[in-house]
Amino acid sequence: MTVSAESKERIDDYLKALRSCLRDLNDDDAREIVEEIRSHLLDEARDDPAAVAFTIAALGTPEEHASRYLADDLLSRAQVSRSPWLMLHSFFRWATLSFAGFWILLFSLVGYFLAAAFSLCALLKPIHPETAGLWLLADGPDHSVSLRLGFGSIPPGGRELLGWWIVPLGLVVATGLALLTFRSGLWSIRNFWQRPAQVGRSISGRTP
Amino acid sequence: MTSNQAHESAEKWEVQLRKGSLELAILATLWNGRLYGLEIIRRLEKDSDLIVVEGTIYPLLTRLKSLGLLESHWVESGSGHPRKYYQLTPAGRRRAIEMSQAWTKFSASMNRLLAPLGKGKQ
Repeated sequence: MTVSAESKERIDDYLKALRSCLRDLNDDDAREIVEEIRSHLLDEARDDPAAVAFTIAALGTPEEHASRYLADDLLSRAQVSRSPWLMLHSFFRWATLSFAGFWILLFSLVGYFLAAAFSLCALLKPIHPETAGLWLLADGPDHSVSLRLGFGSIPPGGRELLGWWIVPLGLVVATGLALLTFRSGLWSIRNFWQRPAQVGRSISGRTP
Repeated sequence: MTSNQAHESAEKWEVQLRKGSLELAILATLWNGRLYGLEIIRRLEKDSDLIVVEGTIYPLLTRLKSLGLLESHWVESGSGHPRKYYQLTPAGRRRAIEMSQAWTKFSASMNRLLAPLGKGKQ
């Protein structure tokens, strides 16, 4: 049975969109993925022309389908390259696919943010010696601890806790936090990254 | 928990169980020779009662290949377009055996545990 012109057009439209969504992969990998899906769709269309729409639905939108490859690619590269930026980028993509990914992204953002805050505080202390540092602030009976970068004035009653020790300690804490966040990210990839899979039980015929 | 909620919960558990066995199922499907994607989907459905949608199988095959468990090559088919065939690598065969042994051991111990439930049904 030959593939109808309408089915071919539908297939070409889908694959064009898929290729566009795979632009972050290297060309050879992207081309191979598109050709494999083309082959699959042509096989399905040959057996049953009405199956093209069903099969395209089972593949997911081009964005959804591509995101599975992109997430795998990013996470694999992040593990190998050990680049925190690549790892964060891959977590952003993972977060779009699962709750686990979302929480891991959130944890990583908080970890890197705190590391940045401590290192900035340590670096700005020599520039703002009177106001940068770790401060205990009193607000009536309540107290709070605040890491200040030195901009603005200190509220009355505030007391600096570490003085110049914020410089070495801040850098140590920042390095420790960054390393911990990075290692946790790697550990998360190894232990929690599972491609979202749709698996069902055969009832009658093929149902997704 | 209402009976509908209990039924939904049991179905979700079954889906997780099937997802967990998918990698082994794919390796086992390729044990006797090379297959292309659509053949793998159909073989899984026929031999194991697993329905795997296209959106799942192809990224998973790509991943298994990147892990060195599968290799692939394109073969011209009689239908006018090439097909990408997969087969197990030596590492893939070792992994299939390891997983199969773990599965056999686990299912034997679960069967022992579940034996009283079978008697209870009778």
